[in-house]
Amino acid sequence: MMSLIETRNMWKTYDMGAVQVHALRGVSMSIEKGEYVAIMGPSGSGKSTLMNLIGCLDTPSEGEYYLNGKLVSSMLDDELAVIRNKEIGFVFQVFNLMPRASALHNVELPLIYNGTSKEDRLRQAMKALEVVGLLDRMKHRPSELSGGQRQRVAIARALVNEPSLLLADEPTGNLDTKTGKEIMDFLTELHRSGNTMIVVTHESDIAAFADRVIYLRDGMIEKDDVRKRAV
Amino acid sequence: MRIYWDVFMMALSALKANKLRSGLTLLGVIIGVTSVITIISALEGLSQSIEAEINKMGPTTFMVTRMGMIFSEEEFFEAIRRRPMKIEYMEAIEEGCEYCEKVAARTYTMVNVKYQNKKISRLFGIAATANFIDIVEYEVGQGRFFSQEEDHNRRRVAFIGTAIQDELFPNVDPIGKDIKINNIRYEVIGIAKKQGASFGHNQDLVVFIPLSTYAKDFGTSRRRLRNLAILVKAQSLELLDQAMDQTRVILRAYRHVPYDKDDDFSMLTADTIMDALNRVTKFLRLGLIGVTSISLIVGGIIIMNIMMVSVTERTREIGIRKSIGARRRDILLQFLYEALVLSLGGGLIGIAFGVFLGDVLIGLINMDMTPSLYAIAIGLGISTGVGLFFGIYPAMKASRMQPVKALSYE
Ligand SMILES: Nc1ncnc2c1ncn2[C@@H]1O[C@H](COP(=O)(O)OP(=O)(O)OP(=O)(O)O)[C@@H](O)[C@H]1O
Ligand SMILES: [Mg+2]
Repeated sequence: MMSLIETRNMWKTYDMGAVQVHALRGVSMSIEKGEYVAIMGPSGSGKSTLMNLIGCLDTPSEGEYYLNGKLVSSMLDDELAVIRNKEIGFVFQVFNLMPRASALHNVELPLIYNGTSKEDRLRQAMKALEVVGLLDRMKHRPSELSGGQRQRVAIARALVNEPSLLLADEPTGNLDTKTGKEIMDFLTELHRSGNTMIVVTHESDIAAFADRVIYLRDGMIEKDDVRKRAV
Repeated sequence: MRIYWDVFMMALSALKANKLRSGLTLLGVIIGVTSVITIISALEGLSQSIEAEINKMGPTTFMVTRMGMIFSEEEFFEAIRRRPMKIEYMEAIEEGCEYCEKVAARTYTMVNVKYQNKKISRLFGIAATANFIDIVEYEVGQGRFFSQEEDHNRRRVAFIGTAIQDELFPNVDPIGKDIKINNIRYEVIGIAKKQGASFGHNQDLVVFIPLSTYAKDFGTSRRRLRNLAILVKAQSLELLDQAMDQTRVILRAYRHVPYDKDDDFSMLTADTIMDALNRVTKFLRLGLIGVTSISLIVGGIIIMNIMMVSVTERTREIGIRKSIGARRRDILLQFLYEALVLSLGGGLIGIAFGVFLGDVLIGLINMDMTPSLYAIAIGLGISTGVGLFFGIYPAMKASRMQPVKALSYE
């Protein structure tokens, strides 16, 4: 039986014309269902690049990536879109909400793209907003919400399709310490309720929430530190 | 299926969110479609009213005139040297043409008409023989047309169009009243059925008087009979050619045309007039449509330009949509829908404007405005085509964006 995530010698190379930037140089790792993993490393070490590959936003230049036993590294654009929609919930540092849409519509959006009926969509989106405690703000636009609230809307959007994998790339990077801690507490709670979670951070107190820390340096895994394996 | 509808709704709300941009795009399409439809419906209306006019002549009737239809300068300079038609030809044809059933003559001139202190200046005075009404399908609305006796006896009687009734006799029955045509007193004996307008002139603004009376009151000078035409109705459609041949022989003899020379008069049937006019309008159509297509292309380029700006501006939005699972076709469709809504919306408004302006252009505004299906079909076809053609490239560009790149776009 394969792990939830399995990468084999994954490379990502950006061709900049004159030079080639190797953002990842042969990353091999596996992550099991239910794990809570933090990815750490200095700036430019390839954390976001790795997250984008894991999140199927991009494909590796070389190597294989299996998600749920499926070889996603060789999938076409539209197949990846379906994976992103069904299997992955992505939380970004800069929230990436649709600025003109209400919180509800933002959360509902992934469901539109898989053809869920209007009633089901509203029900599921409202449920997700309830989980993040923002049901009373569902009519608000992102600009009418605080940073922490925006990130919680983004988390609700990531949750709404009940994905097999929650990814967060520096989810607290744009938040003050207190709000950041709240968001991390919340993500930890989500992990406890059964979600597989990968969080990128360069702060060790944030990484402390996780059960396992993968250290990246120059596009390679420097250290894979398992503290308390989830059972 | 549902997703197409949802994506369509997203396209609509994106358009609403960018009112200025949407408005400008609409304007581009409206200008293009309006100009094409104006031309098409003007030409359409023109052909229709010409057709209606000519069909009044009936298929078995032909008209003998001095000038006929002229298509070149040489023809024109030859034709203006021709001698005028004479009323005697009518009797000659009546006697000599065995396949002709009826022969009528008419001429026209501009006249002034007065009743008491009300006056209409410069309207068509048509002088005709009594059987003119049988050949040309003018219908009697009230009273009667003048009789052959009245024509022979040069009686001063008049048959008027409804516009004259409306203007000079708003509250009175005109029948039996005396009007003054160029200061000569005529008795109104009948009113024509309403005809409507064609080629920008009101066909109901007309007065008919007997041809002989006209000859007496207005004279038979060359100038006075310049517009004289003889209308001949053949016994049947099969005998039309023979009737025309006989008439030609009679006229050539009367006008002393040498056997080796061409006719110095012209004979026209409804068909030949229609053919000639169709040839002319076809050229007009092609030429004008060519010119107006340019404005459509300009409209299309405006759409494409604005769509490109919109795609670039919304790169992050596209990235977000892709990151949560929008496929290429979802993005493609959204931008295509946006282009199509604008171009079809602009198209519909353009059609409405165009049909209206087309009618104004040929003065048909007081006739019933039935926009031609042809114009509507063309307008819709063109605007859909423009929307698709100029919308597809930006939409493809949007749909092919890489999610990571799009998300990190500043
Ligand atoms: N689109 C790109 N084109 C070229 N080079 C890129 C691109 N994206 C990332 N890189 C390079 O790849 C390397 C890894 O970048 P990445 O964003 O993964 O780093 P990171 O670990 O997330 O850094 P940070 O902590 O600052 O977010 C960097 O050297 C970066 O310059
Ligand atoms: Mg990063």
